[in-house]
Amino acid sequence: MSAAAPVIQTEGLTKHFQRFYSRRVVRAVNGISLKVEPGTAFGLLGPNGSGKTTFIKMLLSSIVPTAGSARLFGKDCQQPEARRKVGYLPENHRFPTYNTGRQMLHFYAALSGSGRDERVRRAGELLERVGLADWADVRIGKYSKGMLQRLGLAQALMHRPSLVMLDEPGDGVDPVGRRMIRDILHELRQQGTTIFLNSHLLAEVELFCDEVAIIRRGELALTGRINQLTAGSGYHLSSPDAAQGALNELQEKTASIASNNGMAHLHFSDRDALNEGIDILRKHESQIEEVRRQRSTLEDVFMRTIEESKEER
Amino acid sequence: MRGRFAAATGALVVDTFRESLSRKIFWGFFGCSTVLMLIFLLVLNIDIVEGGVAAVKLFGQDFTGGQGVEVQQIVNAVLGGVSVFLFTAGLFFSVFASAGLIPTVFEPGRIELLLSKPVSRPHLLFGKFLGTLAVIGCNLFYLVFGVWVILGLKTGIWQVGFLASALFAVYAFAVLLTIVLFVAVISQSAVLATMVTYFVMLLSGIFSQHENLGPYFNSQWPRDLVTGLYYVFPKIPDIGNMARLAFLGREIETWMPLVTSSLFAAVMLAASVFVFRRKDC
Repeated sequence: MSAAAPVIQTEGLTKHFQRFYSRRVVRAVNGISLKVEPGTAFGLLGPNGSGKTTFIKMLLSSIVPTAGSARLFGKDCQQPEARRKVGYLPENHRFPTYNTGRQMLHFYAALSGSGRDERVRRAGELLERVGLADWADVRIGKYSKGMLQRLGLAQALMHRPSLVMLDEPGDGVDPVGRRMIRDILHELRQQGTTIFLNSHLLAEVELFCDEVAIIRRGELALTGRINQLTAGSGYHLSSPDAAQGALNELQEKTASIASNNGMAHLHFSDRDALNEGIDILRKHESQIEEVRRQRSTLEDVFMRTIEESKEER
Repeated sequence: MRGRFAAATGALVVDTFRESLSRKIFWGFFGCSTVLMLIFLLVLNIDIVEGGVAAVKLFGQDFTGGQGVEVQQIVNAVLGGVSVFLFTAGLFFSVFASAGLIPTVFEPGRIELLLSKPVSRPHLLFGKFLGTLAVIGCNLFYLVFGVWVILGLKTGIWQVGFLASALFAVYAFAVLLTIVLFVAVISQSAVLATMVTYFVMLLSGIFSQHENLGPYFNSQWPRDLVTGLYYVFPKIPDIGNMARLAFLGREIETWMPLVTSSLFAAVMLAASVFVFRRKDC
């Protein structure tokens, strides 16, 4: 593998389901091409049934693609070796309840190729880290949903993966547990681990991820860096004592002008217009309270993308 | 690389053992074998006088009819009975006890995580197959070894060849387990896997009588069909008979049942791998 190889790369990845006795074809994923570079925190978003989980399952070889290709660390994802450095926490997992937490960590780490000494050391560390040290030797049939989720995260990290794929990691976890998971993910990012996150919690994805892809009806509706996607079109300026003359002059320069409790709120469509506006206000000796770039939330972007996709159909 | 393969296989085998222990399958089987041995120990009474058998009593009933019988004959008869038990009820219990161990791997929420590990699909099947075989093999060896020790202590005759019965029984079970595996891969149903395997066992018993069934058919083609199916299907009764011949020290005239049953198992395994490799989980 070359150092520059993307951690995840798909080309026209497609999955159509069809039962042998039926003519009906379900197009779960339709030609998705995506690239995730090393060290990125990548969020996969989409409404329920949009094909996110099918996409992840194809990356991890649970589902065989109908067409296209998927590579992990530059290797065909159907090769077991491609998954050597991947840690995965599935959604709706069912860990065998006959194991204790420690036994479960050992089992999955052994499948990942970790040696015994490393497993012993790592299991102790991670059980402590996810707050399950006291439950390490209790059968996981007695664990709560939140505990299982934290154990699942520990399982994904046992073999020190370079790519961690998490499908709804905060599902069923209380706020304290969620904070713990977020802290662990931040630590992983600082260590350069690539994180691929599938979550419905858009605010968390916005806080945590660098890039997102939005899937709708099995197709890639939008992809990009979050700071670019949420960067709104224009700038906002507020002035507490804008002179009427200045406001008259600014009519043609601004996209909109509004006033609230004596504070003038001006919206400029681009940087040049903003600078001209500032010059005019200063010429009229008006004070400037605040200048900021207009931003959308990830939720705005998500909703807009989904709505646009609906209209296109 | 080889170490990783062995470690992953070992993990799958240990996991299968844990599952069988947790579901009380292992202990259930172990308990049944122990009770069987205790019954054997308590109800079978062999009186030996000057190297000959004076009386063989089962549940207090004398089976020698007052006539002198060689100890060896008695030992052979008892071991023969145990062997028949192994290849009928023993295998029946084994399939019943083990059929649930393989389909659980394919449960949604469990299989995705297993497949996300750097383990190939055939490797996963192989590990689970080996684990199940180990669970049942341990119990079959325990039963055979226990009976052998009890009879040895009672008669002073240590028929080492009888221990080979366990090998034959484990082999026969392995062949049946390939059917369980194949049905489990297709259906993920333990019940269906058990049903189909029992049905194959039944057919195997019927087809093994293909030479005696001839007169019951009016035309030649059904005879040919049954004979053909006899060669295609696993030959559990024939393997049982081979085990009996082996411990009696008699010559095994043909290894055909072993060879054709191996071919059947190989086809089942290949089909399981073929289907599983293309299966969406």
